[in-house]
Amino acid sequence: MSRPSDGRRRAALAPWLFVSPAVLLFLGFSLIPIIIAVTLSFQDTAAVGDGDWVGLENFTTMADDGLLHTALRNTLVFTVGTVPTAMIAGLGLAVALNRPLPGRPVLRAAFFVPMVAAGVVVGVVMAWIFHGDYGVANNLLEALGLGRAPWLTSPTLSMLTLIAVVVWTRIGFCMIIYLGALQSIPQDLHEAATVDGASAWRRFRSITWPLLGPTTSILVILNVVFSLQAFDIIYVMTGGGPGFSTTVLIQYIFRSAFADARMGYAAALGLLLVALLLVFTLLRQRASRRAEELT
Amino acid sequence: MNAPHPTHAPHDLRRRGFLALAGISLAGALGACSGAATATTHLRLSSWNIPTDLDTYQQIADEFVADHPGTSVSVEVTSGSFHQWFITRLAAGLAPDIIRITPQQIGRYAANGSLVDLGGSSATNYRDDYSDAFWAIGAREDGLYGVFQHTDNFITYYRHDVMNEIGVRPPTRLDEAWTWDEFLAISAEAKKVTGQYGFGYGWSGAQTAYRWMPLIYQNGGSFLGDDGETPSMDSDAAVETLTFGRRWYSEGLVSPGNMAKSGGGDVSRTLFLTGQIGLMLNNPEPIPQLDEDLPDGWGTAPMIRNEHEASDLGGNALAVTRSSEHPELAADLVARLTSREKMIQFCHEGNWLPARSSITAEDIDYSEHTETMQRFIDQGTTIPLEMVRAQTSRYFSSLNTVFGDYLDLCFLGELSPQEASDEMMGAMRDVTSQ
Repeated sequence: MSRPSDGRRRAALAPWLFVSPAVLLFLGFSLIPIIIAVTLSFQDTAAVGDGDWVGLENFTTMADDGLLHTALRNTLVFTVGTVPTAMIAGLGLAVALNRPLPGRPVLRAAFFVPMVAAGVVVGVVMAWIFHGDYGVANNLLEALGLGRAPWLTSPTLSMLTLIAVVVWTRIGFCMIIYLGALQSIPQDLHEAATVDGASAWRRFRSITWPLLGPTTSILVILNVVFSLQAFDIIYVMTGGGPGFSTTVLIQYIFRSAFADARMGYAAALGLLLVALLLVFTLLRQRASRRAEELT
Repeated sequence: MNAPHPTHAPHDLRRRGFLALAGISLAGALGACSGAATATTHLRLSSWNIPTDLDTYQQIADEFVADHPGTSVSVEVTSGSFHQWFITRLAAGLAPDIIRITPQQIGRYAANGSLVDLGGSSATNYRDDYSDAFWAIGAREDGLYGVFQHTDNFITYYRHDVMNEIGVRPPTRLDEAWTWDEFLAISAEAKKVTGQYGFGYGWSGAQTAYRWMPLIYQNGGSFLGDDGETPSMDSDAAVETLTFGRRWYSEGLVSPGNMAKSGGGDVSRTLFLTGQIGLMLNNPEPIPQLDEDLPDGWGTAPMIRNEHEASDLGGNALAVTRSSEHPELAADLVARLTSREKMIQFCHEGNWLPARSSITAEDIDYSEHTETMQRFIDQGTTIPLEMVRAQTSRYFSSLNTVFGDYLDLCFLGELSPQEASDEMMGAMRDVTSQ
C-alpha cells in the first residue's frame, strides 16, 4: 500500500539517486585519493598505509632539493616552449583550414591524428626518428649535405626536440578548438569591415582575435595543464636525460614515488603541482575578468 | 471500507519480489566471488610478458596442480613499470602470490616486509647447487626472500667481417679475455673499419644503468662498501673506471646515442646489425635477431676484464609476496619451479641461462649455439658476490637511478670523472640516509 508520504519521500530521494553515480565516482576516484595524498604528504612511507608521521618535513625538504629545482626549471622551459608554439601554430592552421580548400576535411583529420595517438607510441616512434645514428631526421640532414644533429643526446637540443614533438601532438587540438571558435564569429562583421576597406590582417587583428579571447584563455589553461602533466613522451624518449636536462616535475614525482620509494615526498610534490596549477588558474581567471571589464 | 488503491498491491509485490530476487542474486554472486562456494586453493604467479615463459610456467604449474588436488594456478603478466605495478597491488593486498623479480628489484621488498621468508620451504635444500653470489640474491641474514631461477650476463660480441679486416683473432677462454687497454685498441681499429664507432654497450633504458657496474668491480672498485649500504664511488678505482668510460665517448668509440638513459631500447644491437660498430658488450637477448639478420656474421668472446673479471648480473628470482593467503603452498611451487629438472626445462624452452651451478649447456640441450650459451654460463661464475650484495641491497632501486644520472653526465663530458664521483657520492648518501 502506498501512502502520500511515500510519494514525497520518493520525490525527495529521486535527485539523490540521479546524482549518486557521479557522487560515488567522485568520491572513489577524486575526493578519497586526494585525502589519501594529503595524508601521505605528512608521512615518511614507501607505500600506502604504513607511514610514520613527519609533519611538514616533506615540504621543508623541497627547499634544499637541487633536483626538484632543476625539474621546476625544466618544467618552466618546457611549458613556455610548448604552450605558445602549439597555440600559434594551431591558430594558423585553423585560419587556413577555415577557408574553402580542396581536401579540407582530410587535412583537418590529418592534423588532429597526432592528438589521439597514444603518448607511448608517439615516444617510441619519435625516439627512432630522432635517433642520432639511425634516425630518419639525421638521414634527411645527411641527404641534404648537412651533418648529424644530436637530437636527443645534447642537453640543450634534447629539450628542444621534446618541445617540437609535443607541439606536433598538440597542434591538432588547438586547431580544432580554434576552428570551432572561428566558425562562431558572425560573417557580417567581416563583410562590413571588408566594405569599409579593412585589410585581411586588420580584420584578423580587430575582429577575429578579440572574439577568440575566451577560447584563447581556455586553451592557455588547458595547454599549461597538459604541459605540467606531460610524462609519457618524455619518459620514453629521453628518460629525463641526458643527465637531468629533460627531467620535469611530473617525472620527478613518478621517480620519487616508484624508483626512490618515497611515497610521502612524492605526495607532497604532487600537492606542489596542484598548488602551481591552482595559482595559474586563479591568475588566468583574474586576467579574464579584467579583460571582460575593459571590453 | 475498501482498501485504498488496491491496484498498488501487485505493483509493490512485483517490486518487492524483484528487490528480494536481486538481493539474493547479489548475495549469491558475492559468495561466489569470495570463493566460499568452492574448496579450491588458488595461486597466482606473475611473470614478464614473454609468451614462451608464460607457457612454460603454466605447464609446470599444471603438473603442480595435478600433484596437489584442490589447487589451481593462474599465470599472469606483470604490466607496466614494475615498482608502480607492485607497490599499488601490495597496498591493495592484491599482489600475486608469486612474482618473478630481478635481483636489482628484490632488495627493497625483502627489506620492507613485502616478501615472505621461504626459510621453511624445501627450496632451502637447493643451497649447495648455487654459487654464493646467486644464492645471495634471495638470502638475507633474517631469511630467504627469493630463489634465483635463471640468469644472464654480458660477454663480447664481434662481427666477423670487422675482425677479419683488422686481422685480430678474438679470445675464446675466460683467462684470455681482452683487457681494457687491449679492447680499446681493437675498438679504435674497428672504428676505422666501420667509419662510425668501435663498439656498443647493451643498456636498454634508464632502469638498466646497473649493467655498467661490473666495470667498477673489474677495476678493483665497488659501488657500495662491505656492509652493502655505504656508498663507495669515491675510491680511486671507481674514478679510474669513470675515466675509462669517459674515454669511450671522448675518443668517439661509442655513439653518444648509446648511453645508460638513452631511449629506443637496445641501441647497441641496432648499431651492430647495421655495421656501425664492430663489437658490442651485451647479454644473450640479441642472439635471435643476429641469427635472423646477420647469420654466420658474428661470434662471441668472453667479457672484457681489467685487474679482475666481472660481468653483468641479469636474470630473475621467484619470490612469494605478503599478499599471499597460502604462502606455504606458494613456496612449494617456487621450489618446484627452481628444482633442477624444471630449471632445465625452463631454460631449454626460453633459451635462458640456469641459476644452478650443476647445470651445463649440454644438460639444457639448447636448440642452437650450445657453445655460446656455455660461454655465458662460464661467464656467470665471474659475477662478484660484492656486486650482487650491492645490487640486491634495500636502496638499490634508488641508487641505480642516481648511477644512471651521473654516468650520463660524466660520459657526455658535462662533469669530469672526479666531479661525477663527488656528485654521485652526495646523491647516494642522500638516498642511503633516508
